[in-house]
Amino acid sequence: MSEIEEQWRTMSRVLTTKAAIAQTPKELVWALNKARLYRYIPVVPLEKRHAIPLLLVFALMNRPSILDLRRGHSFVEFMVSQGYDVYLLDWGVPGLEDAHLKMDDYILDYLPRAIRKVKLLSGAQEFSLLGWCIGAILTTAYAALRPDDGLRNLMLLTAPLDFSDPSKLTFARWTDEKYFDVERVLAVFGNMPGEMIDYGAKALRPIENYVVNHLKLWDNLDNPSVVESWHAMNTWVTDNIPMAGGAFRQLIVDLYRNNLLMKGEWIVRGERVDLKRLRASLLTVIAQGDHITPPCQSEAIISRIGSTDTDVHRVPGGHIGIMAGSAAHKQTWPYIDEWLGARSR
Amino acid sequence: MAETQSASKSSDPMEAMREMRDAYLGVMSKAMIDAVNTETYAQVTGAMLDGYLTAATPFREGLDKAMLQGLEQMSLPSRQEVVALAERFTNVELRLDDIDAKLDRIVSLVSERRTASKAAPATRPQAAASAVATSRVSRKTATKASAPVARRAKAAKSTSARKPGPRKG
Repeated sequence: MSEIEEQWRTMSRVLTTKAAIAQTPKELVWALNKARLYRYIPVVPLEKRHAIPLLLVFALMNRPSILDLRRGHSFVEFMVSQGYDVYLLDWGVPGLEDAHLKMDDYILDYLPRAIRKVKLLSGAQEFSLLGWCIGAILTTAYAALRPDDGLRNLMLLTAPLDFSDPSKLTFARWTDEKYFDVERVLAVFGNMPGEMIDYGAKALRPIENYVVNHLKLWDNLDNPSVVESWHAMNTWVTDNIPMAGGAFRQLIVDLYRNNLLMKGEWIVRGERVDLKRLRASLLTVIAQGDHITPPCQSEAIISRIGSTDTDVHRVPGGHIGIMAGSAAHKQTWPYIDEWLGARSR
Repeated sequence: MAETQSASKSSDPMEAMREMRDAYLGVMSKAMIDAVNTETYAQVTGAMLDGYLTAATPFREGLDKAMLQGLEQMSLPSRQEVVALAERFTNVELRLDDIDAKLDRIVSLVSERRTASKAAPATRPQAAASAVATSRVSRKTATKASAPVARRAKAAKSTSARKPGPRKG
């Protein structure tokens, strides 16, 4: 009886409280509107650190704390321990006053300013960028638009860049103009509500997300390791944030419907994003079981860019699992460290 | 140990139930993934969203109007006014960031100049010393290599030393 009580208490605690996530020590070094730039406190002596700083750029519609999920299982913590000078750009939560913000603003206003600060604080003229999901779209466009800013290495994780085959993209089908009136949605809400984005992501695999996920917790209530991991992930998953209206419109109209980036026709604040101008070393990490960004969306970039140093790393797992799942510290992080370490001297 | 575990697992009736449950959920999952990937699903969700927006729009508009009137009566700023103010703050922040960037550039240029001016007097004696050392070395080498050449050089030096220079004062 006491065992059942204990399990019930665990279940209610995990479902009703928030886990302590994003615990790696960091300092706020720059802020603009809702965006914040953090620098993680180095743990490796200066002489043993890599010379090139690393800036992490996550998606617009989720918190970047997934990169620093929990102590002992955090990508940020891992990279800091490997001697990288790590910075994180948190886009923040857009308010109604940010509904007009477009990807143009993120790419050409926020990102270059944060990069300027990274260069100033690190004392380095070159830097590395890691973009994940929508963050990969922003960093790719920036790398193509500003190839002389000192970007040495670009890492893209589950990058949704190629929308040429809508039959393989469930989101493309749902947001087809026949069924989804983006202007009407934004006219009512201003920004794309986080709950709607969350529903869209979960509805791609409804049984896994709404049933199996909770059964996994139920089956492992006596396993503290699984419970704590589940608690941390649930804390991140349920912390939804809206996406700025202007950026969401571009995602649907310019990218999902018209594939302008890959066609070489995407105009960002009057400048055409020419992928041939992207010359930084490039690593693209593809999740083989990704249902949000199927592998076909991340593959074509290699043949379109001007870089000569390119690499593709395929990892079994899903959109988030490849970086935050239980196998990430064996399959993904060491590969990124090895690839980047060789290019950060 | 492993055998004991597998034996206890196979004898656990709950384990058999779980396996059945997982197999059923696996089948259901595949069916649902196929279902959400159809045009029909996209059409149905689109219609539901449309219905929600149609119902919500007049309600929202009414609420906004009532809220606006209420705020005006209480002499409080409306949402639009607050939004406009926030936008202006962001613009001010952008300008401040530009100024910050310019200041950083100025500081960096000033410190570069200071370093250069500090280094300049220190470099001159060093350069002079190294020039003397070089000439000594070259003289020694010359002596070793060819005595006549060294003699000629000595003669030239003594001649130039005896040459009267411009008188001062």
